[in-house]
Amino acid sequence: MEGRTLAKRPWRGRAERAVAQEQVLLFRVGECLCGLGLRGLWEVLSPDGVTELPTPSYQICTALAYRGRRLPLIRMSELFGMSAERVLPTARVLLVQGQGRPLGLLVDEVLGVVDVNPQQVGAMPTQASLLSPELFRGLFSRESQVVILLSEDGLGGMAEVAQFAEN
Amino acid sequence: MRTEEPRNAKTGTSTGGTPVVLFQLAGKSFAAELDRVDQIIEYREPAKTPRRPAHVEGVVEYRGRYLAVVDLRKRFGVAEPKPAHPAVLVLKGVGPDPVVGLVVDQVLRVLPLPPDGVLSPPPRVFGIRAEYIRGVANAAGRPVVWLDLTKVLTTQEAITLLA
Repeated sequence: MEGRTLAKRPWRGRAERAVAQEQVLLFRVGECLCGLGLRGLWEVLSPDGVTELPTPSYQICTALAYRGRRLPLIRMSELFGMSAERVLPTARVLLVQGQGRPLGLLVDEVLGVVDVNPQQVGAMPTQASLLSPELFRGLFSRESQVVILLSEDGLGGMAEVAQFAEN
Repeated sequence: MRTEEPRNAKTGTSTGGTPVVLFQLAGKSFAAELDRVDQIIEYREPAKTPRRPAHVEGVVEYRGRYLAVVDLRKRFGVAEPKPAHPAVLVLKGVGPDPVVGLVVDQVLRVLPLPPDGVLSPPPRVFGIRAEYIRGVANAAGRPVVWLDLTKVLTTQEAITLLA
């Protein structure tokens, strides 16, 4: 009996050391399915709940008034090269912390939260996008769909956001 | 992949020529070195990526990693859409990424290109400049353009395939 119990211990140990899953918010920007780790997410707002300050519409980074603060707002469709004529009824503003800076991301639709095994996140091929590789944590698959996992620090470190913070 | 290359009966090694994968694009025959082709897979719709180059369709999962999918028709400026069931050559060691998918119209076969059967290209072949071509050969009476896929996939310059 004793021997059998001892033999089982290492197995239990491996089970307890199961890989920690990361929770990721899934959202859509144009034809791209994207994700962002929940740890960097602070709040999800309807665009009706925020005031976008007047800036030229073609700019990737505009300004957002939120609880008395002026925050940078990245229009993700502009960043992704998919200029949208109007903000969709399903659009949401994700408030995130990137490189220590609070910023908003205007996305087309929030789809839900999924658990992701960080070991299943693969590298983004360099030829797949002309955007800075810093913006991507990688790719993972979810129900036969490929999800682009974005980096909140990469987004917060964008030159447009840094310039906004300086002004 | 089974090749048509003649093999030495004693050593089992190739008796001549570079084995290439022969494929078709917009009615013309092209070749790629067999040792650069990891696998030939069926085309499936890639996931779209943001701000991708015009000739990149997106990404697909392949053996637990992800590869960019390049449409060779678009890379060569061919306006007509690809056929309903194109093939994807999974290429290795031809660019900044470990593997890349190349969409072609149809894979024909594997054959050896004997060294004395490969000619230096003229300045342009079907409109493609010689710097993107490793050589020109003949297969069953038809010209075959042996592409330098590393250059085709890594330079930013426009390449135009003429009809």
